[in-house]
Amino acid sequence: MNVNVNVNDYLAVASIIFCIGALGVLIRKNLITIFLSLELMFNAANLGFVAVSEYLNLISGDIFVIFIMVVAAAEAAILLGIAIAFYREKGAISMDKANELKF
Amino acid sequence: MLDLAQIYNGYYFEKSLLSIMPEAVLIVFAFLILLAGLFNSPSKNSLNSYYLALIGIAFSFLYLFMLSDHTIKGFYGSIIFDKFDVFLFTAILLSGFLTILMSKNYFDTRSVLMPEYYSLVLFSVSAMMLLVASLNLIMIFLSIEFMSICAYILTGYLKGESRSTEAAMKYFVLGTFASAFLLFGAVFIYAATGHLSLYKIHNFIFKQNYKVHYAYNLHTFLAIGLILLLVGLAFKMSLFPFHAWTPDSYDGAPTPVTNLMATGIKIAAFGVFIRVFTSIYHFDVFNFYNILWILAILTMTFGNFAALLQTDLKRLIAYSSIAQAGYILIGVIAGGYYGISGTLFYLLAYVFMTAGAFAIIIMFENLNLTSVDIKSYSGLGYKYPLAGAAFSFFLLSLAGIPVTSGFMGKFFVFSAAIKSGYYWLVFIALLNSAFAAYYYIKIIVKMYMIDDEQPNIPNNYNNMAAAPTNGTGARASANGETGLVKEKAVPSALLIAVIICLIFTLILGIFPQPFISFASKSVTSLWSI
Repeated sequence: MNVNVNVNDYLAVASIIFCIGALGVLIRKNLITIFLSLELMFNAANLGFVAVSEYLNLISGDIFVIFIMVVAAAEAAILLGIAIAFYREKGAISMDKANELKF
Repeated sequence: MLDLAQIYNGYYFEKSLLSIMPEAVLIVFAFLILLAGLFNSPSKNSLNSYYLALIGIAFSFLYLFMLSDHTIKGFYGSIIFDKFDVFLFTAILLSGFLTILMSKNYFDTRSVLMPEYYSLVLFSVSAMMLLVASLNLIMIFLSIEFMSICAYILTGYLKGESRSTEAAMKYFVLGTFASAFLLFGAVFIYAATGHLSLYKIHNFIFKQNYKVHYAYNLHTFLAIGLILLLVGLAFKMSLFPFHAWTPDSYDGAPTPVTNLMATGIKIAAFGVFIRVFTSIYHFDVFNFYNILWILAILTMTFGNFAALLQTDLKRLIAYSSIAQAGYILIGVIAGGYYGISGTLFYLLAYVFMTAGAFAIIIMFENLNLTSVDIKSYSGLGYKYPLAGAAFSFFLLSLAGIPVTSGFMGKFFVFSAAIKSGYYWLVFIALLNSAFAAYYYIKIIVKMYMIDDEQPNIPNNYNNMAAAPTNGTGARASANGETGLVKEKAVPSALLIAVIICLIFTLILGIFPQPFISFASKSVTSLWSI
C-alpha cells in the first residue's frame, strides 16, 4: 500500500474527473456521450466518498457510494428509454435535433 | 382517533415505520395501481387507477392528521416527521390531489389510457414528501433522484409527441447534471466535517470545531461543498443561472405534469432548502446571505423579463414561476420565525393559484386540443364568462393584487424581509412585482378583447360555454366502457379542482390568520430559528 498518496490527491483527481465530466456534458452533442459524461461526474463523487471515508475511518461514505451506484443504474435505464423514444421521433440522438422548444 | 401513544411506545410498530407512514401509504397505493393493472382492460384500469390514486391521497392525509401532533425520528435519524413536515406534506398532497383531478380529463381527451400514470404521480408525490422529511445527505440525494426520475418519465409521457420527448430529454440531462453537483458538494462537506447527517454538520459548524488532524484546509473544503450543494438545490428550485430546464420541460410536458412540477417539486425543493439552510447555511460562515441576495434579485428580474416576451401560455407561466421562486427565496433570506413562516404561507398560496391557472389552461386546451398560444385566448372571456373570470382571478393572484392569496403571501414575505433589514431587496422585489403585473394583465386584456381576427375555436364547442355559465355544471359522466369523458360537458373533476383552488385562493387572501398560525407553528420544529 502506497502511504504517500494523500487524501488531498484523491480529491484532486476526483475534482479533475468531475470537471472533465461537466465539460463533456456541456460540449458533446451525442446523448449517449452526454450520459457517459454524467456517469463520470457521478463516479468522481464516488471516488471522493471512498477516499474520504477510508481516510476518516468512517463507513457512511461507503454506504453513500453504493446508493449512488444504484441510482446511476436506474438513471441509465430511464435515459435509454428516453433516447429510444427520441430516436424514433427524430431519427438521431444528437442534441442538435432537440430544437423544438426554444426561448 | 387511534391511541397513537400506545402504538408509539409499543413494540409492534417500529418507530421508523411510523415516521414514514404518510409516504408509505402512497407507495403502497402506487403498487396497488400497478397490480390492479393486470386484471382489467386498459380503459377500465385508467378509471380504477384514478380512483385508487385519490383514495391513496386521502389515506395519506388521514395518517398525516393522526400523526400530526407527534415528532418521530426514524431510520437512525435520517428521516424525521415533525410539525414542519405536516405543513409541507399538506401542501404537497394538495398539489398531488389537484394534479390527479386534472389528469383524468386531460388524458381521456387525448385517448391516452395508461393506468401506470397515476402510480407514477403517487410515487413522485411520496418522493417529494420523503425529500422534505430527510435529515441526511444520503436521504436528500436519494429522494431528489426518486422524485426526478418519476418526473422525467411523466414529462415524456405523451408518446409520439416530439415536444414531450424532447422536454423529457432536456430535463433528464440537466436534472442529472444538477444531482451530480449536489453529490460532489456532499463529498466536500463530508471531507470537511466527517458527517452526512444535517444535525451533526450543524453541530460541527456551530462549534467551529475544525480539528487539526486533517491534512487540508477544512474551511475551504466546507465553502466548496456548500457552494456545490447550493448549485444542486438551486437547479431544483429553478433559480436564475440554473433555470434553463424549467421553461422547456414545463412547456413540453403534459399540462397536469407541468402543474405537478410547478407546485409539488418546487415546494419539495424549497422545503429541503429551508431545512438545509436553517441547519447549515444559517451561520453565514461564508457570506452566503450575499450570494442568495444576488440570486434572488437575478431570479426575479430575469423571470419577469423573460415572461414578458413569451407568446406561449405554458412558457409564460414557467418563467413567471421562476420569478415566483425569487420572491419565495426572499422569505428564506429574511429568515427567522417570520421569514420562514411567510415562505411556507407563500408556498401554500402558490399551490392553489398555480394549480387553478393550470386547471383552466387544461379546460381551454381541451377545447382546441393543441394551442396554448396566447393569441388563441382572445375573446375567450366572453365565450366562457365564468372560466374567464376564474382565470383572471388566478392571474391577479399570481400578480399579487389585494384580496387574493398571492397578495397575502407577498405581504408576509416582504414584511419579514423588512423586519430583517433588507430594504433594498424588498424595494427591488416590489418594483419587480409591479412589473410582473403587466404580463399577467396582458392575458386578461387579451381574453376580454375580441380581435378582428376570428378566434380559432371550433363552433361546435360553443355550447360548452353553457356549463361554466350556469354553474350547475353539466356533470361529466364517465363512460364506463371507453373511459372517455362525454364531449361538450365540462368535466366534473376539473370543475372541482378549479372550485377548490378558487375557494382557497380567496380564503387565504381574506382570512390568512389560521393558515399563517399553522405555518408559524410548523416553523418551531426547525433548529436555529
